[in-house]
This record gives sequence, C-alpha cells and structure tokens, in this order.
Amino acid sequence: MARVPIEEGFFRIPDDPTEQPRLLGSRCPACGEAFFPRRLVCAKCLHEGTDDIELSTRGRIWTWTSCHVPLFGKKDADVTGYGLAQVDLPEGPRVQSILSGDPDDFAIGAEVEIDLETLRQDSDGNDVVIYRFRPVGGAA
Amino acid sequence: MSHGLKFDGVAVAGIGMIRFGMFKDIPGAHLARDAGLLALHDAGMTLADVDEAFVGYIQPATMIGIKAMKELGLTGLPVTHIENASATGLVAFREAAWAVSSGRADVAMALCFDKFTDMTRGGGGRGGGRDQIDAPILPAAYFALWAQRRMHERGTTPENFATIAAKNWNFGAKCPTAHRQSDHVVTPEEVLAARMVAEPLTTMMCCPPDDGAACIIVAREDLVRQRQPGRPLVRALASALMSETYSPGHTFVGPVVGPSSMTRHTALECYEAASLGPENVSVAYCHDAFVNEELEYYELLGFCAEGEAEKLVVEGETGPGGRIPFNTDGGLLARGHPGGPTGVAMLHEAVLQLRGEARGRQVEGARVALAHLVGGGSIATVNLLGLERSGT
Repeated sequence: MARVPIEEGFFRIPDDPTEQPRLLGSRCPACGEAFFPRRLVCAKCLHEGTDDIELSTRGRIWTWTSCHVPLFGKKDADVTGYGLAQVDLPEGPRVQSILSGDPDDFAIGAEVEIDLETLRQDSDGNDVVIYRFRPVGGAA
Repeated sequence: MSHGLKFDGVAVAGIGMIRFGMFKDIPGAHLARDAGLLALHDAGMTLADVDEAFVGYIQPATMIGIKAMKELGLTGLPVTHIENASATGLVAFREAAWAVSSGRADVAMALCFDKFTDMTRGGGGRGGGRDQIDAPILPAAYFALWAQRRMHERGTTPENFATIAAKNWNFGAKCPTAHRQSDHVVTPEEVLAARMVAEPLTTMMCCPPDDGAACIIVAREDLVRQRQPGRPLVRALASALMSETYSPGHTFVGPVVGPSSMTRHTALECYEAASLGPENVSVAYCHDAFVNEELEYYELLGFCAEGEAEKLVVEGETGPGGRIPFNTDGGLLARGHPGGPTGVAMLHEAVLQLRGEARGRQVEGARVALAHLVGGGSIATVNLLGLERSGT
C-alpha cells in the first residue's frame, strides 16, 4: 500500500518504510538562514533564491501540550488524545508537529525524532500520512 | 518607519451591537442591519449622513458585506471589505477613523458581523481542512504551547490562568451584550475542574463559538458635538497595526499568531503615536480567546515588567477596582468572539466605560481605553480611545 502525504511539498516519504521521512527546507545562500517549509525569498535578508535542503531527523522540544480531543480524522478510533510540540531542529527552524509516544516522556528540552502518522485511507486505498515527532528512546 | 497613526479631530459618533450568541436562523445580513441601526440611532444619524463604510467578516464568503450594507439603505456610499482574521473589527475601525482623520470623510462606519453557525465544519479556515498540513493544530493547542512555555520559564500555575478566566466570566455576567452569562459567581476551582482541551487549558479557559454583529460610527468632532450635545465626547486617539517580523525560531506552519513580541512592538508604536504610555490607560481590552494570552499581554502591552504578570493576577489588579481592569465585558472568553465583530464589540464596551455608562462594571474615572487584538496569519493591532479632558 502506497503512502501519500496529507499535503505535497512539506516532507519526503522514503520508499523504504524503515527509513525516516525528511522535512523539506530551504537555506539562504546569502545569509545562511534555514527555513521550514521551503520558500523562495529569504525571510531574514530578503535574498531572492534559496537552496533546497532536507532537515535533520532529530531535534529538541521547545514547548509541548497534550490535547484531550481526538486527532483530526480519527474521530472514530480509540484515540483519546495526542501531543503537539514545537521542535527546534539543529539547522534552526522551529517546527510545529504532532508529538507521539508516552506523555510522561514529553518535556521541554527532550530529544525527539521524526516518523510518520497514518491519518486515514484515501479513496484509492493509500495511507494518508503526516510527519510527527516522538521522544528518542521513549515507548512506542 | 512608524506603524502608528495619530487621529486628528476624530470622535465616536455612535455604537451598536447585538448580544453575541448562536442565531442559526437569523441571516448574517440581518444581524449586521440590527447592529448598524443601533449605532445610527446612538449617533442621531441615518445612513444618509455616512460618507464611507468598512465592512468586516472572517467567514469564507465574498460580497456579503456589501449586501449587508444594503439592508441599511442604498445611498451610493463607498464600501470596502476588511478581513484581518480575529483582528478584523479593530482594523475596520482603524480604516474608518483614518478616513475621517485624513479629511476624505466627515462620517465613517465600521460594520462587522460573522456567523459561526454558517461556517461548515472543516471549512472555516486554516487548521480546519482535512488536506492541510496544519490540520491537527487547533487554536487552543497553539495557545496551550504558549502556556506551557510560560509555565516552564516563569513558574506560572494553572491557578493563575484560572483566576483570569474566572474574572472574565464574572465580568461577562454583568454585561448585557455578553454571550456567556453565568448565573453564579465563577471560581478558579470551577474553571480548573472543567473539561481539559489542551493542557493546561480547560473549556472554561477557551472562548465559545458564536454569531454576532457590531458597529461603530466615527465622525469629525464638531459633528458629534452637534448631533449629541451634552454627551461625554470620546475621541479616537491612535492606532497601530503590524504583521510579523522575522526572528530565529519563527514558526511558519500552523495557525500561527506570533511571535508574541509583535504585540509589544505594536503597542509601543501606538503609545508613541498618541504621546501616551500604559500609565495613562484606565481600562484595557485584549485578545483573551485563550486566557493564558491575557497574562502575556499584561507585560507585552506595558502594564507590568516582564515576569510580573502573575503578581498582577494574584493581587487582582486587572479585576474590578484594580489598577488596570482588563476585559470588563468578559472579553473574548465570555462576551464572545464571533470573528469580525469582536474588535468592534471591544470598542463598544470601551466607549460605554469612557462615557460612564457601563452599569454594574463601571471603571470609575476611566479616561483612556486600549483595545488590542491579534489575528491569525498573523497581525497585531493596538488602538487607543480617550475621553475629552475638561476644558479641551
């Protein structure tokens, strides 16, 4: 079964399901600032034209919360809640993302790594996926 | 370049709003008409007196503002649509006040309305669509992220947030146009015990969905004096509006309202334009869609030093009889937050306070009112109204 992104242009889904997905970013060749998602004009120095980069698969939690409502698209599943975080990546961007795993492992400063969450199946039977982060070494 | 505007010779001619709530069977244009007529009556005017109108709403639809205006009459006046997310109402006011201040209009109207009950589930904007990258990030969750960071950095407690929420619920019960009117005194304990939405925010710390309409008419001061002699004159003093500036750690994806420093910069620009400071402000209104925001804005709007907002809460300085009462109509939390009309409802309450007509919740001696909103995307706006000083 193929995996398709919830929205194109934000992350790359590897063909090998054991490989981690990669967030698609930009780096300004003039000032070096990195961004997520991709953009043409540098938000810092206004240089026109940026280089495509793939961002690191690990980062640290800047802030997080635990939502006590069902995750969008999973209203009928046995999901009672989910985490959300802003994750600082080594290249610079701060990314808002679903946070999975045990809420006891959620903490500001904790190291997290990226994987994919399946939201639903589309009409062709593909898995619609979105990126998420989970505490490194935490429970699955 | 300054982002602040100082208004010259502009006064509030009239205000009107309908109580916010759920009005599934009433067309938005009729809600707008009723708010508009209330404001025209308050001003002692008809639409024939109005030179220009700015209509605002955030529901995803085109042309409905110009159509709503026709409910008030067809006089040929120029009508412009304004949309700036949650800040729409204040921005419509800003444009109306500038139209008068610039001399192109003698009388200008800001009319805003929205119907949450018309917005189809999932189609109400960014964060609601199934096929968008930021679909999982609810506004409540976004502001819960702020709250968690604040708790981490400053030791803020959920009780601090609940105390602000209880204050706004109890103010709302005293305001006839507030959506939520509790039949009992709300305590912080009750707020904390409500259903959790996104930690640490419970349902009683989050604004309700609602429908509503509100209108403000501004005009040349001499016209206002002529139409409503004997009434305290409320001036539009200044307004500032800013979008985001880039700094490291900026988030681009999600229902972004930030960085929070945007409010600080916008407030400074507004104070500078008005030649006033936070020490001159008697009563303030802010974007308390999620109550932890209000705590942050105490500092960002300059009412206390950084790290002292919790002290302000504990000492009750932003409640009845306090040094700087906030959101005396219940704020977005209790008065309601339909979207477009929210900012105009703030001004409605601010004008009542400055006229001395806010029965049951009057801030004694109120002379200057501040109205602040942020809007998703994002922008921030800060606006100042002032009571005419005796002898001027």
